[in-house]
Amino acid sequence: MTPGRPPAQRVPALAVVLVLAFGILAAGSSYWQVIRADELAFSPTDSAVLAAARTVVRGKIVDRDGRTLASSRRTDDGTPYRVYADPAVSHPVGYASALYGSAGLERAYTAELMGTRGGDPLSRLFAKLLPPADRRSDLQTALSLPLQQLAVRLLGDDRGAVVMLDPRSGEVLVLASTPVFDASGIADPATATATFDALREDDASPLLDRAVVGRYVPGSAFKIVTAIAGLGSGSISRGTVFAEQPESEKDGLLVAGYRVRDGHHPFTGTTALDLVAATEVSCNIWYALAGLQIGGANLDVFARRLGFGSALPFDLPTAPSQLTNGGGPLPGGFLDDVELANAAYGQGEVLSTPLQMALVAAAVANGGELMGPRLVTALIDREGRRTPVGPRSMGRVLDPSTNAVLVEAMTRAVEGTYGRLFTGGARVPGVATAGKSGTAEIGGQGEPDSWFIGFAPAAAPTVAIAVVVEKGGRGGERAAPLAGQMLRAYFRAQP
Amino acid sequence: MDPGLNLLLWVLRLAFLALLWVALALMARALLRDVRAASRDPAASLGRLVVVASSGQPAAGAVFGVDAVATLGRDLGSSVVVDDPYASAQHAVLTFRGRAWYVEDLRSTNGTQVNGAPVVGVAALAYGDEIRIGDVRLRLERGRG
Amino acid sequence: MTGLAADVRAPALPGFPRPRPRPRELALLAAVILALGVGSLSLGLARTGRLEPADLPGLALFAGGLLAAHALLVLAGRRVDEILLPAAALLGGIGMLVMERLPQDLVVQEIGPWTLGLGDLQLVWLGVALAVATAIAVALRSDRWLRLYKYTWAASGLVLLALTFIFGSEVNGSRLTLQIGPISGQPSELLKVILVVFFAAYLAENRILLADARVRLVGPITVPPLAYLAPIGAMLALALGIVVVQRDLGAALLFYAVFLGLLFLATGRRTDVVLGLLLFAAGFALLALFFPHVQQRIAVWLDPWADPLGDGYQLIQALHAFARGGLVGTGLGAGLPEIGGRLPIPAVHTDFPLAAIGEELGMTGVAAVLAAYLVIVGRGLRIAAAARDDFRALLAAGLALVVGVQAAIIAGGNLKLIPLTGITLPFVSYGGSSLLANAIVVGMLLALSDRGAAPLAPPRPSRLARLRRSPGGPS
Repeated sequence: MTPGRPPAQRVPALAVVLVLAFGILAAGSSYWQVIRADELAFSPTDSAVLAAARTVVRGKIVDRDGRTLASSRRTDDGTPYRVYADPAVSHPVGYASALYGSAGLERAYTAELMGTRGGDPLSRLFAKLLPPADRRSDLQTALSLPLQQLAVRLLGDDRGAVVMLDPRSGEVLVLASTPVFDASGIADPATATATFDALREDDASPLLDRAVVGRYVPGSAFKIVTAIAGLGSGSISRGTVFAEQPESEKDGLLVAGYRVRDGHHPFTGTTALDLVAATEVSCNIWYALAGLQIGGANLDVFARRLGFGSALPFDLPTAPSQLTNGGGPLPGGFLDDVELANAAYGQGEVLSTPLQMALVAAAVANGGELMGPRLVTALIDREGRRTPVGPRSMGRVLDPSTNAVLVEAMTRAVEGTYGRLFTGGARVPGVATAGKSGTAEIGGQGEPDSWFIGFAPAAAPTVAIAVVVEKGGRGGERAAPLAGQMLRAYFRAQP
Repeated sequence: MDPGLNLLLWVLRLAFLALLWVALALMARALLRDVRAASRDPAASLGRLVVVASSGQPAAGAVFGVDAVATLGRDLGSSVVVDDPYASAQHAVLTFRGRAWYVEDLRSTNGTQVNGAPVVGVAALAYGDEIRIGDVRLRLERGRG
Repeated sequence: MTGLAADVRAPALPGFPRPRPRPRELALLAAVILALGVGSLSLGLARTGRLEPADLPGLALFAGGLLAAHALLVLAGRRVDEILLPAAALLGGIGMLVMERLPQDLVVQEIGPWTLGLGDLQLVWLGVALAVATAIAVALRSDRWLRLYKYTWAASGLVLLALTFIFGSEVNGSRLTLQIGPISGQPSELLKVILVVFFAAYLAENRILLADARVRLVGPITVPPLAYLAPIGAMLALALGIVVVQRDLGAALLFYAVFLGLLFLATGRRTDVVLGLLLFAAGFALLALFFPHVQQRIAVWLDPWADPLGDGYQLIQALHAFARGGLVGTGLGAGLPEIGGRLPIPAVHTDFPLAAIGEELGMTGVAAVLAAYLVIVGRGLRIAAAARDDFRALLAAGLALVVGVQAAIIAGGNLKLIPLTGITLPFVSYGGSSLLANAIVVGMLLALSDRGAAPLAPPRPSRLARLRRSPGGPS
């Protein structure tokens, strides 16, 4: 461009720049007004949603058999408020209160329950021309009220969680967390403040949904993850044995100055254990050695396939489970071999939510394909039309033939000769049950957490379960028998 | 709200948006028409003045495009600046009216001549005619475009 | 002398000035008034349930004012642009509807026996702005006093800035307002016009030197000679200074962008623009490093949800408003759901009018507003392209840029494309100083667009009497 040319002739170039700038602005407008519109406009924090919440009567929430879990009532002056069937379902169903906002499904599905979201965008556009339609939906959940109540009753005064789901579809039948709280107390305007203040002050954190955000040391239940990683990556096989394992049983295995100990050697003596046997007796040493052989990278890869490392796709917000705190120099983020070895049998820095461990069991139960967990199975509109919320796969973790080895190992862990000594409480008469118990040591102080994950029937599983009881002692003491009772009740209720 | 009224309300709202865009479309059309006209030939002019002879500015051989109204004189605000000692600040004005060219002397000190003849008031011009201001002679030619 | 100094004064011709019809302007104004009337009807119906305009006297006054301005331009007979006024009227009208729709007690002023609310005040300012724009369009004929006294203009601008800094009142951490008696205004709005005049004059005068007499800096990169760099450097310092002292990020960005645009037009050197951008980025980075209020703006822009109830609240509410609007909006009067009697977006009438438009008129409405700005910028640049000399070209381009870039900056901030700044949306935001300054811009653009006298009718035969007709007369 020669400077001799008058400015007037350079104007078109400037015009182009400005048109581009305004084009970007138009694109920005379409981003917020079309692309992200639904996400923002129907979120529970949106002003229109909040304004409507004060006057709109929400839809019902029902369990898998149609029992009402949440419904609305009116005060004397006509203000609607919510009532809930049982404190046992308070955690998954949540509450909706004018004063204290919302939680659980009441929060996550605010827009559907209140009718501010309904139908596809095009019909919503046309609907503007017609008088405002009632687009409220009822929620059909996969929860089973009787089973949920049973889980809470079995947990009793202990703190813990029970997650029960159908591995074939991901439907969650039980999502229990104790201690429970009275959601109706929060939703009723008369008792709201008193109830909420008392809950906030309670040391046991009753408002915390341990099933989805409680992160626990999983203990030996995590060995299944290690086994999946080993078999899946090919680093170990069904018949893998470690020569040093039987020798180290008496005094413990030395890994870089740290001793890995076991408690089963009185039963197994000097036999070298393979994968199935090691799982049956829950051999820490075998798994520690396996972990070192598998390596942190493989462990990380397969754990991620199971859902570790990020929040799980679910109706409710979940906390991510972890293998390690990360930042370590070893592949996978482990600090050193000691941590890797400990993680392999479920100690170290491994932390998992009960929902995540239930998914581990579910993946094995479903032939190696992991179905995403779901609470809501259908939306029912005012006319009774059902819109199902379909199952979604989270991907394949293992191929079916490799997965079969794990089914065998987990079946032996409950039904096997030695297995039933440790975990026999989980057995269901007449139904072959598979599973793995866990005893999670927490810093050596007090009782360990008691864990159990499993599924049944072993041959063609229809239900998977995860139980954790804080300070419940060994896995076989509290968690396994509790799981067994849950499974028994489940099968009794089947037609 | 009564359903009929609700429908009317939305008709009005959509009509408002539509009318806004109608107004904008009309503006855009005028804008584009203007741009197209300008870009068709930026050098288009109704007529041209060619400098036949000159003592100073403008130099001989220079060509000026003139439109419907063009002022001639020493004033720098003139359409064609004639920098001659005998030219007045506002010497004459060349206009195109109807279908013909006219030159009008603006009471200049030394007068304007067309083909040698002095101009009093308004004089008609033909293409090829010469205007003389001081020592500068300008010939009127057809425009381009 | 500057050379090619073309004076705006039209040639003295018989029968000048003469009223000239402006049909295109009338048609466009009619279309705009019709649209606004229908909009007002929709707002009235939504509010009261009856088919009546929301504010009939206001609407009538606005329409009347526009037609009066049109009549004045017709009478003045100048051949000025016919699209600028309707485009500005469209934006002003949308702004008026928005201010009418918002709760009137957002701004209250008592003038004598009257108590005026938000909508009334906006209407008053629109009227004043219309009068100012028309007056300038009609009366501004000579640009001599603009182009010759450029340093006076610059100095007065700096004086204005200094006054604001010393005597101004602090609002939301920025000292932008100057209060004289009952009237408070933002001198920075006027400053932008003054600076554009200065830039245009300075660059027009020195552009050849700036472009040709270069000094080699590094390798193939050349810069203008140091003496001429001085005003440029001063400009950079001023812009960044405003950020630091007055916390007015928007104004700084606006001045600098307009300056770079004019620099490009004047010299055509793309390296100058690139260097200017780099310098600004570097300066801004430095400021971000040392000044917490700049860091805070950037943090909120990057993730407003990090502090949803504090700093990020306003922006999050605005984005929700855009989302609720969707394609066609909720309709005037039906959006902006109030919680506990308060609007969801704080300061929506000054900072986020585009969000209100986004919610109630949808993407269609937002696009219409953006298109209207493009029309104004387009006409302004067209006027610049057809200008008779450099100064007028640069001035027209600068004025067009001032409107367009300001709209882009605040729209970008509303849409989370750039950090939010405190400047106003021209013609739409509430604010007398903003409306006045932009009215001056429109008025000046109209004056600059004067195409001179039109072809006249053939002279009466009597006037040709004392003339010797040459052979081969006109066809």
